[in-house]
Amino acid sequence: MLAARASTARSVSRAARSFATVSDTAGLKLAAIDQGQPTAAVTFLVKAGTRYETKPGVAHALKNFAFKSTPKRSAIGTVRESELYGGVLSASHTREHLALTAEFLRGDEAFFVDVLSSFITSAKYTRHEFQEYVTPVVESETTAATSDPATQALEVAHSIAFRSGLGLPLFAPTHNSITAEDIKSFASSAFSKGNLAVIGTGIDQATLTKLVEKSLGSIATSSTAPTTSASKYYGGETRLEAHGGPQTVFIGFGTTGAPSAELAALAAHLSTQSAVKWSKGLSPIATSIPEGTSVQSVYLPYSDATLFGLLVQGSTAAGVKEAGTIAVKALKDASAGIKGEDVKKAVAKAKFSAASATDSRDGLISLFGSQILSGTGASLDAALASLDKVNEAALSKAASSLFKAKPTYVAIGDVHSLPFADELGL
Amino acid sequence: MFGPLGFSLAPYIKSSRTLSGWFKPFAAWYAQAAGYRQFGLKYDDLLVEERDDVQRAIGRLTTREGYDRAYRFKRASQCSVLQKQLPKEEWIKPEEDVRYLRPHVVEVEKENLERQAWDTASVKRN
Repeated sequence: MLAARASTARSVSRAARSFATVSDTAGLKLAAIDQGQPTAAVTFLVKAGTRYETKPGVAHALKNFAFKSTPKRSAIGTVRESELYGGVLSASHTREHLALTAEFLRGDEAFFVDVLSSFITSAKYTRHEFQEYVTPVVESETTAATSDPATQALEVAHSIAFRSGLGLPLFAPTHNSITAEDIKSFASSAFSKGNLAVIGTGIDQATLTKLVEKSLGSIATSSTAPTTSASKYYGGETRLEAHGGPQTVFIGFGTTGAPSAELAALAAHLSTQSAVKWSKGLSPIATSIPEGTSVQSVYLPYSDATLFGLLVQGSTAAGVKEAGTIAVKALKDASAGIKGEDVKKAVAKAKFSAASATDSRDGLISLFGSQILSGTGASLDAALASLDKVNEAALSKAASSLFKAKPTYVAIGDVHSLPFADELGL
Repeated sequence: MFGPLGFSLAPYIKSSRTLSGWFKPFAAWYAQAAGYRQFGLKYDDLLVEERDDVQRAIGRLTTREGYDRAYRFKRASQCSVLQKQLPKEEWIKPEEDVRYLRPHVVEVEKENLERQAWDTASVKRN
């Protein structure tokens, strides 16, 4: 048992160490880790998320423009050739970053780095591809997002909490005036040195450096990289009528500044996710909320702000009201003081979720992406050590300071019977 | 048989200075004599459009080009109803008679050929 634990700790620290070296290759941040996986992946992470966008929806459209035609390959050529190599190309965007990822078998890195970098350096952004391939996908993603109350609640909560910057919606508006030209100019200002990081998994750092130097060495240093202002927290309340989905209430709190370990631990403390299937766990919320309702703790750290909250969903407005009251009470109890044992449990849970996130590529990039972009070493050890420092006083102080600012409250569903913020005890 | 644009010797003639010197005056006369300009049409309005690839190319015109094309067709049908040419000042001038659709058709054709090539590609691993 002890030996097993010691070996886990060792492998975690080894992984953290090899990822901690961020090298600067001709102005590009580069980090690679090889844990001996059978497949490799390369991600180009760009500071081109929605908070940097110049026009509503441009960042979302740019994400869907990924892997379209370049002078080297047409869109169909890119897809068919990657299929022949057996690779997977994907693009995703968050409020801060655009990530272009290629996953492939070891040994094919030259081709896939070339596919990624030729899109970065010389994509054509043709008007007909925008109309024929990009717009329909953008529209359907927007529709899917607006028809899901949980996603919509978080979108609205962001815009109330942060207004501009992080508050900008993740998805393009249904009726927009984006053109291929807009996307092209946004991309050309974003795809520049100092704005781009290359992250490899299952690939040797030296190999990746050589490939990236060859293909991206000539990329320009843009003086007009998209900018964003520092986040400011506002808060507020809104209610939206919706049909068909579950009744949804989001109770959110925002903080500015670098994400703190205390909030991560608090989210783990309030999380209703149990460690064992078919059990309610020991969470202060899960055992007392009515049947048919759910409470999820939401912890969204960004580079200069954090949105923390509780997402309450249920089939009836009355159930949501009861569950919401219990959730708010649990948070207030936490701010009044948490037992030492509960703190230890929460910290362990938070540490596990941080560590297990690094097992997957997406988790690795969302955890370390902004650190690699800023050039500071990315290591799991640092994240775990800051969680280790969390104690009872710090945790309840973090919880009570949340209540000092105006909370962000979103109710989606049957607005006639869903509770108002003050009815939940906020 | 020869794709949406038909068979053409024009690229060969254009590449030779002597030949294009001989053919240009004749070509200019022929285009005028063909008579479509007198009804307010451009040469690319006459392309056979009952084909998937040309339809796709038409979809790629800018909205302005699309509206102008529709307007030319309406005006030409009206001329046909009246059994009359347009007044001379409204004829399409030779310099206005540009191939606005051809680049799109060429591009669509190239895409289709590439798709066909990928569909029938044989893979060799070395």
